[in-house]
Amino acid sequence: MTAEEKHPSISVIAASYLGPSLSPNEDLPWDEASLPHSCDDLVQKVLGQPMRRAGRFIKMVCAGAMACLREVPPAALKNKRTGIFLATGLGNGDEILPFVTQVFKHDGGFPSPNQFANSVSNAAAFFLARTSDIRGVILTVSDEELSFEAALWLAQSYLACGEIDLALVGGCDVYTPTVEEYRERMNTSPANSRDLPIGEGSSWLLLALDQPERIGEILAVQMHSAAISPSEYLRSESYSILSAAAADSPCRIWLPGFRLKNPDAPQGFGLHDYLQSCGIHPTASAFGMARAMRTNPASLLIHYNQLASGRTAIIAAKTSQHIE
Amino acid sequence: MSDHAVHIRGWGAVSTLGWSAAESARNLIAGHIHPAAVCSSSHLTSRDFKAFEIVYDGNPLEKSLAMLDAAISEAFKRAELTKEEIAESCLLVGTTGGLFIRNEYEFTESVRLNPDKESPPISCRNRGPGEVTQLIAGKFGIGGPTFTLSMACVSSSHALVVAAGLLTQKKIRRAVVVGFEPLLNMTLHGFASLLLYDSERCRPFCHTRSGMQIGEGAACIVLEDGRVETAGQNRYTLEGGYLFNDNTSLTSAGTDGEMVKTVVQEALRRAAIAPESIVAIKAHGTGTRDNDLSEGRGLAKVFGDHLPPVISLKGAVGHELGAAGAVETALWLSCLEEGSLPKSFGFAEIDSEIGFAPSQINRPAPAGDYLFTFFGFGATCTSYVIRKI
Repeated sequence: MTAEEKHPSISVIAASYLGPSLSPNEDLPWDEASLPHSCDDLVQKVLGQPMRRAGRFIKMVCAGAMACLREVPPAALKNKRTGIFLATGLGNGDEILPFVTQVFKHDGGFPSPNQFANSVSNAAAFFLARTSDIRGVILTVSDEELSFEAALWLAQSYLACGEIDLALVGGCDVYTPTVEEYRERMNTSPANSRDLPIGEGSSWLLLALDQPERIGEILAVQMHSAAISPSEYLRSESYSILSAAAADSPCRIWLPGFRLKNPDAPQGFGLHDYLQSCGIHPTASAFGMARAMRTNPASLLIHYNQLASGRTAIIAAKTSQHIE
Repeated sequence: MSDHAVHIRGWGAVSTLGWSAAESARNLIAGHIHPAAVCSSSHLTSRDFKAFEIVYDGNPLEKSLAMLDAAISEAFKRAELTKEEIAESCLLVGTTGGLFIRNEYEFTESVRLNPDKESPPISCRNRGPGEVTQLIAGKFGIGGPTFTLSMACVSSSHALVVAAGLLTQKKIRRAVVVGFEPLLNMTLHGFASLLLYDSERCRPFCHTRSGMQIGEGAACIVLEDGRVETAGQNRYTLEGGYLFNDNTSLTSAGTDGEMVKTVVQEALRRAAIAPESIVAIKAHGTGTRDNDLSEGRGLAKVFGDHLPPVISLKGAVGHELGAAGAVETALWLSCLEEGSLPKSFGFAEIDSEIGFAPSQINRPAPAGDYLFTFFGFGATCTSYVIRKI
């Protein structure tokens, strides 16, 4: 069963990626052993002021999303009905875990009401809404490694029906508390994922219907209930249609999600192996798409992602001739 | 009545009043409710909190899965869904904790089984809210797209509105909407830390109210694009769903009632229904000072002197948090099937700032339009109308 692909094409107005190095839209070196880094400097740099009484997850969500919004002039956002679609596989473990530890052990003092409030599933989306002065459609979507794809699919629907003018869609997951636990929560094993460091990130796209000023387009978001191999997908009719729609894109770029044991690009595709830059985390696909959108002009982008169960999601997009 | 409306084809629920929506509704109407009490589940570390606990002979993780199984099976049976229809359905789950219960159960079991050892570190082993969605999809063979909305107390009410929107746009053919929330130490202690817990009883809209009491529950609503005949004795449609999120306060919907008014008016506008057509209101009514003041004032602004009967179910089943939307909707539908609206439990004295008493008698449930409201943490609001035909 495939989710219907009846969405119109969606313009990508802006994209911003943020990985473990905590430097928006830059690929700086990082290593798993040094995670997590404080993101206070990042918050100061992007927001211009500190975020008090908020944990790393909330700060990362806000900094990543605001970095994306800053890519467009304020006039482009003014008087627009903007929806927020926050995807997160694991949510705010950064604040849930200390709170639960206080509940069970009391060795860190009594449970903090502020920490509980921040740990609630949609608190980060609320803080982002307040920071960006957005009201209206705000959804927190949490579907493991396909969270970003699910959020993108829903955002397309809201744009297509005219309920919103703009959609700020992004994925954020943060490292916590140990490598082993993080891997367990992502259900990764040598048998079902690539052997790469784990990472984190907050990466976002700003979308609209039919905007002439754009860096690219989302052509389709497809969700398959069962495993479909890359070669099966590339032989499918839906790929043929997309490929024809992107006939003016001289480059074809393959973006493999971390479940794909063999990341090699299929014939005719170049490889955008973004996981080297952001590490494995549930919403790494948001990083991959945002980064590819910014760095690969005139390209057809195919992002291939899977859950451990085999459920597969594919994002097809194309980038404009001149991105910057 | 358009055949292209969003129809409710089936529903099911497990609440503290019963292991089915039908049983829960009959107990609700008969007044066979049990006040919140100190809980007995082995994973709960404090006996200080009273909550609406579902009785089960087994461990809390098994109970959670049994709750899901019972609610979804009841809904599918009522809907008479074939395997093929289930396979092509879209699944939307509203939950805050997902399977976080596993962490709490495993930790407390580890402590219980090793009384002479120091307790292990707390660990998070669940895979986030989406884990329960994949579990449901796998168990029941739901093959359409899956979405998990983790939006605090409006998780499943938002999921219902999102599903209705996708059906209206014909993006999907059928939606299975599930709400799920087991009792957790995390939420019991959390709301207590916010001083939002009433240690005596849940008293929605009452002058003496002093907080909420948490309940647990699971529910499933099957929505479909197009006319269906298999829901029960009557037919039901979901009209005018509206969700809205403000950014003013993390914990309050604004005690002037303006936001509530705006949200309800927009839901009615989308349903093309005048306020005077509403037969009764299934209010959110948590029993907290601010929520009930916001909601009461908002409803008064919309309905003026013609306020229909207002009923909160939380005095009877508690606040099921992310599952509240689906559970309360399923229970209400079963009450409509029984032909009777229950009284609003826990009320004793009018709050002059609110200015009305919730319904204190059971009433007939005729065909017509029923308004639903839900509000949540993060200034989130959902409202919709269910029409009994």
